[in-house]
Amino acid sequence: MGMKESEYWRWKEYNWKDEDADWKDFDIVTAGVDIGSVSSQAVIMGDNELFAYSNMRTGSDSPGSARKAMDWALKDTDMTLDDIRYVIGTGYGRVNVPFANKAITEIACHARGANWMYGPSIRTVLDMGGQDCKAIRCDERGKVTAFLMNDKCAAGTGRGMEVFADLLSVHIEDVGRLSFEIDEEPTPVSSTCVVFAKAEASQLLRQGWPKNKVIAAYSSAMAHRVFTLLERLGVEKEFAITGGIAKNEGVVKRIERELKIEALQTDYDTQIAGAVGGAVFGKTLVEKGKA
Amino acid sequence: MIEMFQEWYENRHEYAKQWKEKTGGKVMGYFCTYVPEEILYAADVLPVRILGSHEVQDVTEPYIFAMFCPFCRDCLAQGLKGRYDYLDGIMISQSCLHIRQAYTSWQLHIPVPYSYYLPMPNHVQSPRALPYLVGELERFKRSVEEWTGKEITDEDLVHGIEIMNRNRELMMKFYETRKAEKPPMTGLEAMFMVVSGQMIHKDDHSRTIEDTMKELDGRNADRKVGQRLMIIGSEDDDTEFIKMVEDCGATLVVDDHCTGSRYFWNTVEPNGNPLEAIAKRYIERPRCPSKDWGERTRIPHILSLAKDYNAAGAILVQQKFCDPHELDMPAIKQALESEDIPSLFLELDVTVPIGQFKTRVEAFLEMLMEEDLF
Repeated sequence: MGMKESEYWRWKEYNWKDEDADWKDFDIVTAGVDIGSVSSQAVIMGDNELFAYSNMRTGSDSPGSARKAMDWALKDTDMTLDDIRYVIGTGYGRVNVPFANKAITEIACHARGANWMYGPSIRTVLDMGGQDCKAIRCDERGKVTAFLMNDKCAAGTGRGMEVFADLLSVHIEDVGRLSFEIDEEPTPVSSTCVVFAKAEASQLLRQGWPKNKVIAAYSSAMAHRVFTLLERLGVEKEFAITGGIAKNEGVVKRIERELKIEALQTDYDTQIAGAVGGAVFGKTLVEKGKA
Repeated sequence: MIEMFQEWYENRHEYAKQWKEKTGGKVMGYFCTYVPEEILYAADVLPVRILGSHEVQDVTEPYIFAMFCPFCRDCLAQGLKGRYDYLDGIMISQSCLHIRQAYTSWQLHIPVPYSYYLPMPNHVQSPRALPYLVGELERFKRSVEEWTGKEITDEDLVHGIEIMNRNRELMMKFYETRKAEKPPMTGLEAMFMVVSGQMIHKDDHSRTIEDTMKELDGRNADRKVGQRLMIIGSEDDDTEFIKMVEDCGATLVVDDHCTGSRYFWNTVEPNGNPLEAIAKRYIERPRCPSKDWGERTRIPHILSLAKDYNAAGAILVQQKFCDPHELDMPAIKQALESEDIPSLFLELDVTVPIGQFKTRVEAFLEMLMEEDLF
């Protein structure tokens, strides 16, 4: 059975658990729950090691999404929510995580999460989220020293890429790879507004551009958009990208090209950086007796 | 007593209408704080500043270009909706093109018996600015005399100066209480105080500040101050935004806004020639960026405010599409950074996206504090 045409944007939801670890061996178990505008993650960490997590779409109801994400992260473990010592809520729905002990912004959490994922040499983090984009500078502890956020528009965000996947009938996971299957790099689409860019892309398709070339043109436009944000903030090495778009090599490579800096790589799931940051903050608060 | 300012702010039109009914006097709507209110008070005219209402509106599209700043469009919307239908006149002093366009469009499309454009010089740092403005004030005074049918004597001008100066000195005293470790009022309350002063008769306003000052001792002693912030930028009476910032765990302790400290900061120093003394005050007041050339005098002023009021961080706000402020912001940001004062830049619109701004404000406050997290 073929996928419905309207669902090319639909990325896979999943959960993960460290099969080798037993949570009872941990001293401090904490969690971070990141309720973003498009996706939600729940991350459970034991003594700052990743233990279990889930990644799914945010529904219309933030508390419900938070519960679902946490239930799914817990699903294959023999833990219950009560076994978690401290929970941090983050993301756009951070105040709507019913079981969170404290809310911290996704800006602070992504910096801290990137510091954990990429190590203390990280100084600039680009979080490319579902509906906004944040350029963050931080110190060796992962504490934010400056940040910039895009304004109220979906250009340069995951939602924009979903719209394009749909328009071109290309699965969202394939967009990055296909954007390189071209003869030569096309001129970026001129508009950064998703709606206008979509109109422009439709016109290019009618002119006979192959899909991949249109994808490349949009990926370049998106890369340029976030490049200007980074440039305004000032980029210091090391540099890394978090969020869903970090998984799209078509955009990542084009950002690196413009910046002339390579982004650090990780084996961790870049979408969970915010929730990881939350869980790490939770552990620190417990240790300091502030929990 | 302090609640009175908010009441006036929220019922500005009722106040002006009642004043008119009670006194039979004329009400002048003005668009920019370079308007010399001394001359209006000397003529027994009530000046009220035209401000927006921060509501989404769809009435201005045919009357002003959509890329003019949200503030000037919001002002014009109030006129088009008839909310200022009690005005006897409108006027502006030259400051920026956007607000002048709001004035011009009002003049063209909303009937009002009297209107006046005062060409306040932009190059106030020139030695020729003062004699130029004195000449313009003489011309303006004559026009007001013709309009009201009342001669404005030097004694009247001195009286106008006294009314304005008394109010300015009181506002300054009120602001100075915010230097305390525990400011007796929030930034929101201070905003209601200073903005309402631009809407009601100075005598009523001054009396209420005096009464309020008596009640400030120990006020807000239990309120958590949080981070001490200053706010810098263009016109700003977005009370919803200010409340959101303070609810995140901060207190706004001082501002550099034309609706705030720039409005009252310096007084007229009498020198025997009232018009010249008035002109001098407007030439020398803390400047708006459209007039701060060739030297940027705003920066040392802003830095001394930050120091005097002990601000840990600054919020830089400007109206969307405001070129003069946009030009100043990078230099202000840099100057603050050199004094170890981090800043957060935000763009104001008629209504602001509170959710998104809240994330930025909270992240900014986390940056300033939250050492416990590391």
